[in-house]
Amino acid sequence: MMRFTLLSLVLFLSACATQPSSTDFTKSTSKSGLSVLPNWYHESVGYHLEGGQIYPDHPPLAKLLKDADKAFMRDDLAACQTLLERAQRIGTRETSVYVRLSYLYWVQKKNKLAEQMARRALAVLGADTAQKQEVSRLLSAIQSN
Amino acid sequence: MSKKAVHRPNLSRNRKSKARRALGWLAKLSIVGAVVLAVLMAYLDAQVRSKFEGKRWALPAKVYARPLELYPGLQLKPKHLIQELKQIGYERVPNVRTPGQYSVHGEEIDIYRRYVKLWDGEEAAARIHLRFLKEELVGVWLDGKPTEIARLEPLLIGGIYPSHNEDRQLVQIEDVPKLLVDTLVAVEDRNFYDHWGISPKGIMRAFMVNLQKGALRQGGSTLTQQLVKNFFLTQERTLQRKAIEALMAILVEIHYDKDEILEAYLNEVFLGQSGRRAIHGFGLASQFYFGKHISALNAYEIATLVGIVKGPSYYNPKRKPERALERRNVVLQVMHEQGLITEYEKKVWTMRPLGVVQYSQYQKVEYPAYLDLVRRQLRQDYAEADLTSEGLKIFTSLNPIVQRSAEQALSKRLKRLESGYRMPERSLQGAVIVASTESGEVEAIVGDRNPRYFGFNRALDARRSIGSLAKPAVYLTALRSGQYTLTSPVDDSPVQIAGAKGSLWEPQNYDKESHGIVPLYYAMANSYNQSTARLGMEVGLENVTNTFKDLGTVRTLPQYPSILLGAFEMTAIDVAEMYQTIAASGFHTPLKAIRGVTTAEGQLLSRYGYQVKQTIKTEPIYLLQKAMQQTVKQGTARYLNSRFDTSLNLAGKTGTSDSQRDSWFSGFSGDRLAVVWVGRDDNESMPITGASGALRVWADTMHDLPLKPLYPLPTEFIEEYWVEPQSNLLTKEKCEGAMLMPYIKGTAPQMQNECATGTKDKGGFWSRFF
Repeated sequence: MMRFTLLSLVLFLSACATQPSSTDFTKSTSKSGLSVLPNWYHESVGYHLEGGQIYPDHPPLAKLLKDADKAFMRDDLAACQTLLERAQRIGTRETSVYVRLSYLYWVQKKNKLAEQMARRALAVLGADTAQKQEVSRLLSAIQSN
Repeated sequence: MSKKAVHRPNLSRNRKSKARRALGWLAKLSIVGAVVLAVLMAYLDAQVRSKFEGKRWALPAKVYARPLELYPGLQLKPKHLIQELKQIGYERVPNVRTPGQYSVHGEEIDIYRRYVKLWDGEEAAARIHLRFLKEELVGVWLDGKPTEIARLEPLLIGGIYPSHNEDRQLVQIEDVPKLLVDTLVAVEDRNFYDHWGISPKGIMRAFMVNLQKGALRQGGSTLTQQLVKNFFLTQERTLQRKAIEALMAILVEIHYDKDEILEAYLNEVFLGQSGRRAIHGFGLASQFYFGKHISALNAYEIATLVGIVKGPSYYNPKRKPERALERRNVVLQVMHEQGLITEYEKKVWTMRPLGVVQYSQYQKVEYPAYLDLVRRQLRQDYAEADLTSEGLKIFTSLNPIVQRSAEQALSKRLKRLESGYRMPERSLQGAVIVASTESGEVEAIVGDRNPRYFGFNRALDARRSIGSLAKPAVYLTALRSGQYTLTSPVDDSPVQIAGAKGSLWEPQNYDKESHGIVPLYYAMANSYNQSTARLGMEVGLENVTNTFKDLGTVRTLPQYPSILLGAFEMTAIDVAEMYQTIAASGFHTPLKAIRGVTTAEGQLLSRYGYQVKQTIKTEPIYLLQKAMQQTVKQGTARYLNSRFDTSLNLAGKTGTSDSQRDSWFSGFSGDRLAVVWVGRDDNESMPITGASGALRVWADTMHDLPLKPLYPLPTEFIEEYWVEPQSNLLTKEKCEGAMLMPYIKGTAPQMQNECATGTKDKGGFWSRFF
């Protein structure tokens, strides 16, 4: 379930991505953000927002992440980052926070930071190898870009 | 006979000639005088216009603590929440009605939050209802509806001031209640709207009074003149100064309309002192005395503030309440006489107490050590002039609850130590830093046993020998190499190490004993020097210094063997930086105090986001954390077991430098890291070790704070085995001396002991007798 959830999360974010920003920390643009994603991202079954369970079972954290996703969808990356950092303070070992941060930095072409966030996600996953595979794919995609 | 005619000189012509000459001189003098006056006026005019049309005031930056996030599941003591509400100027009432109030009913707290603008958004004024179950927040409602999360406004913790230490909160004339303007004019300058800067009536009246008294006792100054005096001139009361003041006042009136002049006055007038800071303007005075925005002032509060103008020290409502009350009532009388309030209102408000708040958002308490760090970090991006004049708002991660705990812990424990060890009073000093392990945000800094002291900041600047705090880096180097495990035998017998120029270094253990062959984790938990030094030489000094670098140590360490036992200096914040990497499982996050910076109007200028870099692999850090947990379970920090629930699985390291000049402890839970240093400023020895000194301060600091348990992050490359550590042999769970130990895959012992192989009785009660 968690594997599906994580994969769906990545798909959801990529489906909503706009183009990556320039070094100016404001807006992203969608097309090049999607284009850097490997094929397996696009090939998987799409995630349906309604009825999905991609948020942690911790209401405050879930609320912040939902708001962060909405901010991302409307291209407000500054707000997205702020909300994710609030979430990170509350859920310091919540993988999906770091995955989101990784993707956020990636679409802004801050690859080094994106890589480190992905590594952090891997570390907090501990010994869960199934989920680690998904995040490792993200890390590989960032490193190869 | 005819009289001879007497020749008399023409006197009339002479008089006329003299008069003409005098007039001529007068005319010349007048022309010269006019020229001088014109030049003076031109100069004064330039002064007036440059001040009014340029930036009128240097506005200090305001520094805020973190906004408290409230959500179900938060570990929070109600007393801490109430303390913070008081600090941010909320008034406790039976039932909340207006923003800035709170009420307590058993385990339910109601808060009417004020509107607040943060660096990352706004929070509207709203009613927040909280339900606690002991020390956990179990329910949060916002305006009657359940909510997942809500934020409070942050505490104003201080400012970065210009050299003159003036502080103000600018207001525009439109925001100022009309009653305040009318009262001010009625009390201070009744003809304000009629005169042209100076008031001959006022001058005459003052002249008569001064003539009677034979001294300058009364001023006939208009509001314009008062403004000019405060803006440009000194406080001296001489005729020359008064003359210039009058000229400048006229110039101000020529160039600017009455509203502009009033607005400047409302923001300029001196209304009190708070420690180092001078309170200027009604905007800030409203906050300082009444804890509210100027637009929310009621009539008797307005009367109090206007009354202060005549003498802010003499009529200080906080220090001289009786005088302030009397003066307020005089102002209320004037308000009534001028038709601003009714007879009934005057009667009612005259009976009211002053209503000055004890705490306000503007309080004397500052956090100098923390502000010091804020300032240093800001200087990387902002010029000093911007920090002290643009009215920036700086939002930090200071946690007032943690800060208070650290301050009290250090202050009280140092006194106890001095008393217990019969040391001279105030001979000990200390420093404390508390940070979040995962985000790297600094929550508290204490740089002196007197936390209000603005001076040498020991937390940031005292470079002291770190002693045994260096040892985790040595053991980590060993664990990273893959050649050592937590149960690898290390030799704690006497050791001699060749130093520079043929010298011989013979480190000794604290207890002057040797302990033979011991497991690696045990040597670290008990802080043995001999085994550490030997191990460090085996793994290599260069590798050890590389580990220090990976942990975040900026300075280059010398390649001397003595660094293995911490014979080099670091500040407390340097140590915190290093231990944060260990606490965060090998992910280094630079310690930071600032979250965001905005303009005075709230426009975002900078944000300082979460950054992280993995510098050490997770697996060796996992092992190191386990060893540091043993330091608490059974090693030099075992005192903590008497103060904390063992389920917290705290980890840490004590440190005592050579000759016991420095006492250190660095320890962490699942979410918080704290570093404590105790020592003497004169660097003399003390009868105090890391365990008996700094560790106690650490315990006192953290004891009152909610802590999360520490669960080191394993990976798929970590395996656990039952081992008999002393022999480093595999065993079984029920065997004597068995401990469950973690190993990086492929490094666990291969051999089993007798108990494991079944050649020896596994043990048990009856096995002793049969």
